[in-house]
Amino acid sequence: MFEWLEGTPVAIWVGESLWGYPIVLGLHVIGLAIVVGIFVMRDLRLLGLFDGISYESLDSLRNLAWSGFVINAISGCCLFTSQATTFASSTPFLLKISMIFLAAICEAVIQHKSHDGAGAWDDAGAVAGSVRALAMLSITLWTGAIISGRLIAYL
Amino acid sequence: MDAFVNAVDGSAVNQWVTGSAWLWPLLEILHFIGLSLLLGTMLVVDLRMAGFFRRINIIATHKMLPFAFIGFGINLVTGTLFLLGDPARYTANIGFRWKMVLVLVSGLNALWFWFKINPVMQGWDPFGDTPASAKFVAWLSLGCWFGVMLLGRLIPYIGTG
Repeated sequence: MFEWLEGTPVAIWVGESLWGYPIVLGLHVIGLAIVVGIFVMRDLRLLGLFDGISYESLDSLRNLAWSGFVINAISGCCLFTSQATTFASSTPFLLKISMIFLAAICEAVIQHKSHDGAGAWDDAGAVAGSVRALAMLSITLWTGAIISGRLIAYL
Repeated sequence: MDAFVNAVDGSAVNQWVTGSAWLWPLLEILHFIGLSLLLGTMLVVDLRMAGFFRRINIIATHKMLPFAFIGFGINLVTGTLFLLGDPARYTANIGFRWKMVLVLVSGLNALWFWFKINPVMQGWDPFGDTPASAKFVAWLSLGCWFGVMLLGRLIPYIGTG
């Protein structure tokens, strides 16, 4: 299946045209900054920083963060097809995908919990321990995804 | 440029950066973490200053700025080490040169914000629209930083022009 992927028109455009790979890689770093940057800022707010900026107001950037996620899911799939057999057997790649999958679940759980509790999250100390733990987990998973993603080229 | 390259090549820091197989990837990882912190902060602060997401208290957004400085600091240090590790490659690279131009424009834009916009911000409606001058600074900042990131990513693919 991975060999078939490498023969698709998308894979050939990404892998063999002069600008295919750099363009998709450029999109991938833009998406990274949007999704990781915004979710981490929100996590820091949940951990008690940025007094004066309400959680709910910061959460209004949620859709922008998810649009970064979508940019990277698409650009990531394009990059994957170009070297599918190599990526599929790369330990750092598999680690990266696992961490992104868990991070997405983590964001969904935080958002679900915020439907009930976010009004109270704006008072000092009102963020539940479980939500703060999820915020820590989110930061850890995104950092881990960056580390393992960078290591794909080296391991 | 040649004098710079000659002075750096073979120096202690040059050999340190290129001497270990693990240092370069470690610096790259830190550079990506730094860019996430810098861009994450600027997205929130600049989009609000451009007039979007008005539920965010614009006067309180300055509390996020330390993370932009931390991110920039990490990337200044790691970026300088890349330059000292492989000076000939970077100084000759068109992508790197334009990246540095945009970093400089970003820096001047930040100074403009600090001296001209920041002092009058206290008088703004925390949840209101922003003046045209602030919107200009915000879009210039976002444009420059995203350009910096894109050019940085393209350095391996852009030649010497």
